[in-house]
Amino acid sequence: MGKVQISNLKKSYGSNEVLKDINMKIDEGEVVCVIGPSGSGKSTLLRCVNKLEEVTAGEVIVDDYNISDPKTDINKVRENIGMVFQHFNLFPHMSVLKNITFAPVELKKQSEKEARETALKLLDRVGLADKADAFPGSLSGGQKQRVAIARALAMNPDVMLFDEPTSALDPEMVGEVLGVMKDLASEGMTMMIVTHEMGFAREVADRVVFMDGGYIVEEGEPEQVFGSPKHERTISFLEKVL
Amino acid sequence: MKKSRFMWLSMAFLLFFAVCAGNLSQTATAQAGEGKTYSIGTDVTFAPFEFQQDGKYVGIDLDLMAAIAKDQNFKYEIRPLGFNAAVQGLQSNQLDGMIAGMSITDERKQTFDFSEPYYESGVVMAVRQDNTEVKSYEDLRGQRVAVKTGTEGYNFANSIKDKYGFTLVPFDDSVQMYEEVTTGNSVACFEDFPVVAYAIQKGVQLKTATEKESGAPYGFAVNKGENQELLQMFNKGLANVKASGEYDQIVSKYLGSTKPGEESTTPSAPVSKWKIVSDAIPALLKGLGMTLMYTIISLFFAFILGLIFGFMKVSPSKTARAIATVFVDIFRGIPLLVLGLFIYFGIPGALGFKMPLIVAAVLALSLNAGAYVTEIIRGGIQSIDKGQLEAARSLGLSHRTAMIKVIIPQAVKVMIPSFINQLVITLKDTSIMSAIGLIELTQSGKLIVANNYQSTVIYGMVAIMYLIVITILTKIADSIERRTRRG
Repeated sequence: MGKVQISNLKKSYGSNEVLKDINMKIDEGEVVCVIGPSGSGKSTLLRCVNKLEEVTAGEVIVDDYNISDPKTDINKVRENIGMVFQHFNLFPHMSVLKNITFAPVELKKQSEKEARETALKLLDRVGLADKADAFPGSLSGGQKQRVAIARALAMNPDVMLFDEPTSALDPEMVGEVLGVMKDLASEGMTMMIVTHEMGFAREVADRVVFMDGGYIVEEGEPEQVFGSPKHERTISFLEKVL
Repeated sequence: MKKSRFMWLSMAFLLFFAVCAGNLSQTATAQAGEGKTYSIGTDVTFAPFEFQQDGKYVGIDLDLMAAIAKDQNFKYEIRPLGFNAAVQGLQSNQLDGMIAGMSITDERKQTFDFSEPYYESGVVMAVRQDNTEVKSYEDLRGQRVAVKTGTEGYNFANSIKDKYGFTLVPFDDSVQMYEEVTTGNSVACFEDFPVVAYAIQKGVQLKTATEKESGAPYGFAVNKGENQELLQMFNKGLANVKASGEYDQIVSKYLGSTKPGEESTTPSAPVSKWKIVSDAIPALLKGLGMTLMYTIISLFFAFILGLIFGFMKVSPSKTARAIATVFVDIFRGIPLLVLGLFIYFGIPGALGFKMPLIVAAVLALSLNAGAYVTEIIRGGIQSIDKGQLEAARSLGLSHRTAMIKVIIPQAVKVMIPSFINQLVITLKDTSIMSAIGLIELTQSGKLIVANNYQSTVIYGMVAIMYLIVITILTKIADSIERRTRRG
């Protein structure tokens, strides 16, 4: 049994079927990058894993919890699934420190003092120890995204989901965010990353999944998918982006 | 459900508040003896029969009522609603009786039971003091004539308007009607003789131009078939005070030696503007205080309604959204004046109970403002990026916690300017409730004008008071807004 197990997943908005029969498994400690053209359904798939999108049919199991079962306490499961968004979604009315300590304290995972210590450690880890008392409005995009990663890590999750974490960044800031993610991967975090950074995917991913038109078209080790893609849609996509 | 319990609690609170406030403001004239207290409706601007003097209601009708109540030993309270509102209040059993210089006509007899006539009146035509052209009804051809709705003067003018070829311009109270003539917009007005005579005595620049028409006498009215014991007491008491000479004393107290039909047009000495202003200030300040109180109470409940329905509007439940939408559509769709009239006269009339004026006014204002506050809250919440809720939920927070700790603190900042706007609107809207007789700033002004006929000065003061208060509130609110934005 993998950390994340997706079986026969379908997702439609009205008559528009965005995900068509997805089967996928992520093992503990595995880093999976999902690539593919816009509208291929890769972000929707990621958002189905922590139920930000309701699944239409099929099953999503994370940490042995069946997320697609309405009886599952989704809040409990989400505590173990960190998520990082394309647009950061930091809470603008809270300081950087409060952004990070807010959920652990609110959910009684940690005392105020413990949460503060953890937060400072995490900020140090993402290179922003001096920004604890700043407000998100005064940070650059790259700094915001690093705080967002720290915020997700503060809940001590088993799995981290990244939804195009560098797409909204100026090019010179992409590196600092990818650096933090690379460190995280090397520490053994289970990660599912939707990304357009092919170089990063090639370097960091244990497995690359190529999606198109709501299907997983091809998946495998980075060297195989990037080096000798089998499917013609993969080939034509990679020709355009590489 | 927590929400509905909260709603009931606030309703109870509303009633409690309103009853307390109601007791404070009613001008109860308690008499010795047991039994029920009758609510007696009257006009606000029908000097010398009823008008306000030094903050108290006085006049022939009121003194007579007091004398009769004392003679017959019953309790009553006076409700100065204005003539039309009092008629409606009587019809819907909000009132037990009505004394307001009300002519006994065949038409009214179909709806009301009248006492024995207590005053022989009659309609006269009045023109501006310097008018030498209009001497008879023939001279009115092609002209505008001011009348007061629902009065004998109106009925009479209406009955001859085609014969003499003039146009009617209807008003809701006598003062507005006089102003229409003294400013020259209309050439003449028709009104009961003693009323015009008294106004002229008080310095209104009019003169009577015709002999009075023998008209219907005034009577005390109850709703048809209701309160017959009150009617009988009135009749017995009236006979007694007439016999004792008290009746003549009351009439001559207000009309001097003037008997209907005789001329008495010597204006009293002109009063200085400053005297008018300084005399009016205490009553107007009191009115302003009431306006502020009604605004605050109404906005408090509007806020509770807005919170309940605003969150229903953004809730995931379709039913909740539908209920909230209906609430907003209804109370945003009904003009406040109509809502006030319906709540005060319509609902009690249909269901057969009495509603305190203050409850009706606060209810109407709260429901109206509540609909707008609902939309402000919905708009504020929906203006917050969807990603904020997603980020909070993805950390494992419940929808409720995410709303309270993440969405609302941000939404409130967006809402503040709209709340300030609503505060100003509701404060001004309390004046609309003067139509059902609520005593607030505008109504206080009307009452003073009804007595001293100085509409320019008094309404000018009323306007300035609104302006000052609203400007101050806006400035305070602006600085709060700036502070929260910085924070």
